[in-house]
Amino acid sequence: MDKNQSRRQVRLMRQSLFDQGFLDEQFIQLEELQDDSNPNFVEEIATSYYRDSYRSLQAIELALEKTPRDFSKLDSYMHQFKGSSSSIGAKKVKAECQQFREYCDAGNGEGCMRTFQALKKEHATLKKRLEAYFQMARQAGPIEAACRPK
Amino acid sequence: MEEDEFPIGLKILVVDDDETCLFILERMLQSLKYQVTKCRGAEEALCILREDKGKFDIVISDVHMPTMEEGFKLLETVGLEMKLPVIMMSSDDNHETMKKGIIHGACDYLVKPFQRTALRLIWQHVVRNRRNMVALAAAVAEPKSCVLVEDDDDDDLVASPAKKRRRLVWTAQLHHQFVTAVNQLGHKSTYYECFTN
Repeated sequence: MDKNQSRRQVRLMRQSLFDQGFLDEQFIQLEELQDDSNPNFVEEIATSYYRDSYRSLQAIELALEKTPRDFSKLDSYMHQFKGSSSSIGAKKVKAECQQFREYCDAGNGEGCMRTFQALKKEHATLKKRLEAYFQMARQAGPIEAACRPK
Repeated sequence: MEEDEFPIGLKILVVDDDETCLFILERMLQSLKYQVTKCRGAEEALCILREDKGKFDIVISDVHMPTMEEGFKLLETVGLEMKLPVIMMSSDDNHETMKKGIIHGACDYLVKPFQRTALRLIWQHVVRNRRNMVALAAAVAEPKSCVLVEDDDDDDLVASPAKKRRRLVWTAQLHHQFVTAVNQLGHKSTYYECFTN
């Protein structure tokens, strides 16, 4: 694949991440912070997020297994996780976090469990999509500045 | 910091227990030409601030670290001890939490995730805080005295030879003299009556 084709592919991958609701406006904020002195900023942030979120998800998993469930603690963990997920623009993950918190408020343990499974799935899917995107972007070389999704 | 470079180089301490948020905030602030120091929690923040009180111009801190107590405790301590402006931030947009932040002394409360533009004007809090500190220091330093004081030789009121303007404090003596003057000049309206009662 030549450079132009690679770059086109990168653009399409990026666009589909927005079109399919994986990412929101906040991701563009990160792209705007990337420049010549911070050329890999977005990827570094995504790496940091996935490193930290592995720990957060483990803590939530453990807390869910405890009986009786401490919904206040679960809500607190999820609040934190929602915060960092929204900071990278992880739209679907954020939505699941919000759903989880609503189930916590209602004291609905089953709802929490179901939502947590959905959350982990979205989290893993986004990770795969971002990894593929970053890899392609590195191969294609620098592309033009971030633009808002149509 | 040179005045004409302001607000470039404003020294900001950022406090958040979420590393991803810390990195993003640091980058946002650096892109606005501010100088940033990061730390992960209230305890670390206080160590850094106490080490060199004059080093920072403003603090930006998360509320939940991991609970609200840590965030608000830091806010109060920084306000009282270091007298620095503190901006609180959180993904918690609950009105009660925001109100609590302002009541505890936050000069602003930013809801996460926020855009870079939300940080552009934070230097205004530094200016406002400095002005308030100067005014407070002046008020504390000045003794509570009247602009008009009695001359040593007679009972005439003379302007005190103060180097700077003093605040007027309405004393009983002044009140007596005012009432005497009004009675001599005559009442023109009931406005004066409230002073003579």
